[in-house]
Amino acid sequence: MKIRRIAAVWAAKTAGFICKKMGRQGVTWAGKIALKIYPPILKELAAEVRKDIFAVCGTNGKTTTNNMLCAALEAEGQKVICNHTGSNMLNGVVAAFVLGAKLNGHMDADYACIEADEASTKYIFPQIRPDYMVLTNLFRDQLDRYGEIDITMNILETMIRSVPEMKVIVNGDDALSAYLAMDSGNSCIFYGISQPVMKNDTNEIREGRFCKRCGEKLQYSFYHYSQLGDYCCPQCGFKRPGLDFDAEDVLVGDRLSFRVENRLISANYKGFYNVYNILAAYAGVRTAGMTGEHFTDMLKKFNPENGRMEQFRIQGTGITLNLAKNPAGFNQNISAVMQDTAPKDVIIAINDNAQDGIDISWLWDVDFDRFGEESIRSITVSGIRCQDMRLRLKYVDIPSVLEPDVEKAVRDRIKDGTGNLYVLVNYTALFGTRNILKKLEGEQK
Amino acid sequence: MKLTIGHLYPDLLNLYGDRGNIQCLMKRCQWRGIEAETISFEANDRIDFSELDIVLLGGGSDREQMLVCEKLKAIQGDFKRYVESDGVVIAICGGYQLLGKYYKTDQGMIPGLDLVDMYTEQGEGRLINNIVLKSELFDMPVVGFENHGGRTCIKNNKPLGKVLSGAGNDGVSGYEGVIYKNVIGTYLHGPLLPKNPQLADWLILRALQKKYGADVELTDLDDTQEKEANDYIYKRFVK
Repeated sequence: MKIRRIAAVWAAKTAGFICKKMGRQGVTWAGKIALKIYPPILKELAAEVRKDIFAVCGTNGKTTTNNMLCAALEAEGQKVICNHTGSNMLNGVVAAFVLGAKLNGHMDADYACIEADEASTKYIFPQIRPDYMVLTNLFRDQLDRYGEIDITMNILETMIRSVPEMKVIVNGDDALSAYLAMDSGNSCIFYGISQPVMKNDTNEIREGRFCKRCGEKLQYSFYHYSQLGDYCCPQCGFKRPGLDFDAEDVLVGDRLSFRVENRLISANYKGFYNVYNILAAYAGVRTAGMTGEHFTDMLKKFNPENGRMEQFRIQGTGITLNLAKNPAGFNQNISAVMQDTAPKDVIIAINDNAQDGIDISWLWDVDFDRFGEESIRSITVSGIRCQDMRLRLKYVDIPSVLEPDVEKAVRDRIKDGTGNLYVLVNYTALFGTRNILKKLEGEQK
Repeated sequence: MKLTIGHLYPDLLNLYGDRGNIQCLMKRCQWRGIEAETISFEANDRIDFSELDIVLLGGGSDREQMLVCEKLKAIQGDFKRYVESDGVVIAICGGYQLLGKYYKTDQGMIPGLDLVDMYTEQGEGRLINNIVLKSELFDMPVVGFENHGGRTCIKNNKPLGKVLSGAGNDGVSGYEGVIYKNVIGTYLHGPLLPKNPQLADWLILRALQKKYGADVELTDLDDTQEKEANDYIYKRFVK
């Protein structure tokens, strides 16, 4: 059996190497091959991780949180296995392990940080049996794939209960996530932001307005964004739990800063939602028993280069690329863009491939009216469903330019734009757009 | 002229960009100089149907529908009178199912509003597709997205359209939706109205004619972008 395991690792490494040479995102293929050759490979390799395994789940922020957690553990001197690219279904997780294994077929890792797609947890959790699960939030996302948010919650609840010794590190500001964690009976660690930070008067779609425990309408003393905030149920007493890791004195501007456990944490990021990502990673490191003394140094150097608020400079135009794949994420993106008061151009690329969700109704749940301000000089709609995006903007009285070809859209705005360009794309548009920006950046050298 | 749109229970039935349908109705009135107002009713609000010109009943998860059907009992009589006196209703997805006698799921029976003689039963697997219909009411095809576990039987009622691509009411009959008096029920979201401006205008016109007389006409709008978006779906899935 040992031979087959080594064969699986070698075959996967070869496949991964070929894909890399061909410039493709081929990690899932490597995982698939390894599983075919030796089905128990994930279980066996996961069991060889010396200390703990983290699984990171939740609708938004998984990839950033998981990569940050990995970097934070590495900063504490640990060896970590991680599915960096965000390939978060079974094959992607297998690939992270086999590509990280040694040629003798064994692991050499202290920790594993595994981002797991919610619906795939049922295949992943029984194999890796995580010691910790980070649950970031639950928003409506890809309803065509998951049916309804209730279905996702049922899967997660079953999976959490199936590993009773697993500690759940959960966003306490999200009533849905917190309910899941508390109801599971597993031991929980809560993080969140106890005090209001941003003015929130938007007409956002909010998930889970009703108490999951008793069905009564939840009352909120304030919202951070979407349904995240300070909630309580007037009927059964369900409420936001006490926070073990509470971000205080939160400042959001060109950079973020906050205090947790009396430590000042600051990062060169835009976007309020990144407070949650950083806090989740911090809670992970601390819960694993480390002091986190290198955490702030790690943040200074942390540059995931994966299209999450990634910066480019092409022919004098500063370009920010960011993923925006569901209403909660997109609304946070809009907030981040509008924090920049300088004149700017925006390109929005929307695809409807299987990984994006083939249903693009969600575009109408995003508060695009907030783009109707003077500082937005132009909006270009692109991607497979550019027509839908153009129509969406029309119904908030915002005109847009239609250009299905993303590369042409980017070139045009570099030529005639403000020099300050935001490119907001959904999932499958991300890799292509990022490659285009990398290429254009290369051309000028 | 003025129209008042009643949005029923958006706190419970508000999946899948229903907001886009409201936005579409409002804008298409306003662009024509017709005053438009939307009143959102939450679960415990009292609804005076005589104040409403268009009622929108949106989609929700099965669990939320179960919560809603409790509230519906209280308004059933008034809602029925509204429909029988030619009140305009657009009911989508979960709201469509609630128009009927019942929705039988494996979790139990959800009693409906019994406004239209039809019923829904949960089937094997969900029907999830882009969908295109040909409706007698409009020259443009009706395009949208369907995502439903229920199979709806509309008995002798008129369907909204014939399915050109997708599953429709039950995946076998070849028809989608229902038309009864001034009520349209359909599984199509996407949302339904922005890419189907003729359907939106049908609702607006029926409501205006009921309120202000049969000689009311709608002025044309520039629907180039709507038509292009509609045509894209039609070409991709039918032609």
